[in-house]
Amino acid sequence: MKERPGWAYLFLSPWVLGVLLLTLGPMAASLYLSFTDYDLFSTPNWIGLGNYRDLFTDDERFFTSVWVTVKYVLISTPLKLAAALAVAVLLNRASKAQGFYRSAFYAPSLLGASVAVALAWRVIFDKWAVNPDTSILVLVALAVWQFGAPMVIFLAGLQQVPKELYDASSVDGAGPWRTFRSVTLPMLSPVIFFNLVLETIHAFQAFTGAFVISGGRGGPVDSTLFYTLYLYQKGFTEFRMGYASAMAWVLVLVVALITALLFGTSRRWVFYAGEER
Amino acid sequence: MHRALASAAIAALLGITTVACGSGDENTPTENKQVTIRFDWWGNADRAEITEKAIDLFEQKNPNIKVETSFAEFNAYFQKLATQIAGGGAPDVLQMDYRYVREYADRNVLAQLDNGPAKLDTSGVTQQLLSGGSVNGKLYGIPPTQNTQVFSYDFKQWEQSQAVPPKDGWTWNDLKASAQKVSDSTQGKVKGLGDFGGIEDWFEVWLRQQGKNLYNEGKIAYTAADVAKWWEMTDAMRRSGAVTPAEMTTKMDGSDANNPVTQKLASGGFGYDSGFTAKSWEIAGREFKLSPFPSDTGKLGQYAKPAMMFSISQRSEKKPEAAKLINFLINDAEAGKILGMSRGLPANAKVRDTVGAALTGPPLVAFQYEQTVGPKLEPAPPPPPKGAGTAKASFQRIYDDVIFQRSSIQQAAEKFMADAQKAITS
Repeated sequence: MKERPGWAYLFLSPWVLGVLLLTLGPMAASLYLSFTDYDLFSTPNWIGLGNYRDLFTDDERFFTSVWVTVKYVLISTPLKLAAALAVAVLLNRASKAQGFYRSAFYAPSLLGASVAVALAWRVIFDKWAVNPDTSILVLVALAVWQFGAPMVIFLAGLQQVPKELYDASSVDGAGPWRTFRSVTLPMLSPVIFFNLVLETIHAFQAFTGAFVISGGRGGPVDSTLFYTLYLYQKGFTEFRMGYASAMAWVLVLVVALITALLFGTSRRWVFYAGEER
Repeated sequence: MHRALASAAIAALLGITTVACGSGDENTPTENKQVTIRFDWWGNADRAEITEKAIDLFEQKNPNIKVETSFAEFNAYFQKLATQIAGGGAPDVLQMDYRYVREYADRNVLAQLDNGPAKLDTSGVTQQLLSGGSVNGKLYGIPPTQNTQVFSYDFKQWEQSQAVPPKDGWTWNDLKASAQKVSDSTQGKVKGLGDFGGIEDWFEVWLRQQGKNLYNEGKIAYTAADVAKWWEMTDAMRRSGAVTPAEMTTKMDGSDANNPVTQKLASGGFGYDSGFTAKSWEIAGREFKLSPFPSDTGKLGQYAKPAMMFSISQRSEKKPEAAKLINFLINDAEAGKILGMSRGLPANAKVRDTVGAALTGPPLVAFQYEQTVGPKLEPAPPPPPKGAGTAKASFQRIYDDVIFQRSSIQQAAEKFMADAQKAITS
């Protein structure tokens, strides 16, 4: 067949333009701005590593926001994955109402990132949201409740587990727990890994819930000052967009590093079918 | 041929984007053309209803101009405004705050209003108020109204609780005693006051009572010791239960829904007298009386403040129409009648007289308050320096450390001073 690259370019162009104009372009711009004193309105001046130096040497709230975010990632990600897996296992049986339950459990994920749900959350959990010791848990609960997306992926993964493995384990006299640990979990480990990476990255980027529930302030006493929320405050309420850009790049590097670490550990616990051990 | 096709495809797509971004940018008066301008402000639904009525009248009188409006509460408004300006999508007419006018004017975001295409008719407004909107001798914001600080209280509740009402020469201790009475007599169900320690505005009045100021020539003019003394006073009120507890205080964001006074969880508090609109009693479910601040020095410390300003975006392509709208809102007698006291006491003296004659309810109470307290008011200090908005936000944020007892008052005050210094100098 004759190659027709012209048509390929035509069909690729929406995607290529999108990446260039909406992703790579702005990223390059923000990398540049992170080395400037850009204040949203005036022409930026080059200040070299000034923003990065201030971040690490002269900004107590930066470390507060890092700590709050790390806490949130460490608590919410495992809980969310556990909830998603548990529900996926329960839903992974043939039943007439299965379609309904899957949709019902998935629904919060569609709604969860919205401002309306965060507002409702603020009203429901008012008592905890205004207490600096418990406010972060309100946000964790909001995240865990949105387990739908990883759940669907787990469900798909569960259905890929070869039936004969279960038959074999039942012939060997394994109980449900034993089967889960020795058959389901190893067979599912690539999917668990995929979800873990994805949800960790999501958790680092959490913003809406904290913004809405704390009224944009990250309070009380900075207890919900997520990294992205502090970045937003710096950029849009203090007009230090250069500084905010530097924060964004620190986040990119940290998330990249953590993803690399996760990939590093994966060799020890992720099992791909057909692989030799 | 294929290469040509590919180039054509890319060119076409780029072309569409370019066309979508481009727009006419003549800045000439457009007499007969249909023009739409955007007007954003902060306020509540009550003020919105009144503003919409005035704008309807403007549109009737200027059939070629259509005004699109949007509003939010104060903090949300300014967050949105900054985003819009940065994105090049600022509203043509915007409401500006005294505290931010220098910040925005210095950053070349606001149009000059005493010269050029956005020139306004300022003849009806006193020089004293205009200076509040002037930066380096140029006008960037025109105050439609003036207001001043006020203490308001649910006088029926105070009577029931046998709390001594404010009178001439009352002190901060008198305030504390009365607030305590209300809290005690209701077993804490209704606190005497909303905790006001985190609001820099009331701290400012207290400072001025001692002959000090927030800023002097662009620098912070008070010390950590002043802040600590103020917070010690309000902290004592919180500990004794005279004011709202920390969990309630931390939610205060200027909205009615999170205001303990509106929610009947507190019987009084400080505010600006421009906050009283026709429905204020209805929203709060009871009536209030107004009083000047307490003072320990015999000096009142309050001043006549531009309640807010109207500004025009530097990048607006419809400056003449925008100016027309502002002129109408400030100088038109009929508009004045509709707007009443919804943004405070009209700055235009003529409009003020017509408005005063027609008032009833809460706006009348506010009007009368302005008449009595007016002679005692000092002129407004010059607009605060860049970063003042950040300092104000820090004041409230770090006060949370005090009320949640995360650090000593002294430590919190020093932490705040460090933050504020950084905000003002950077």
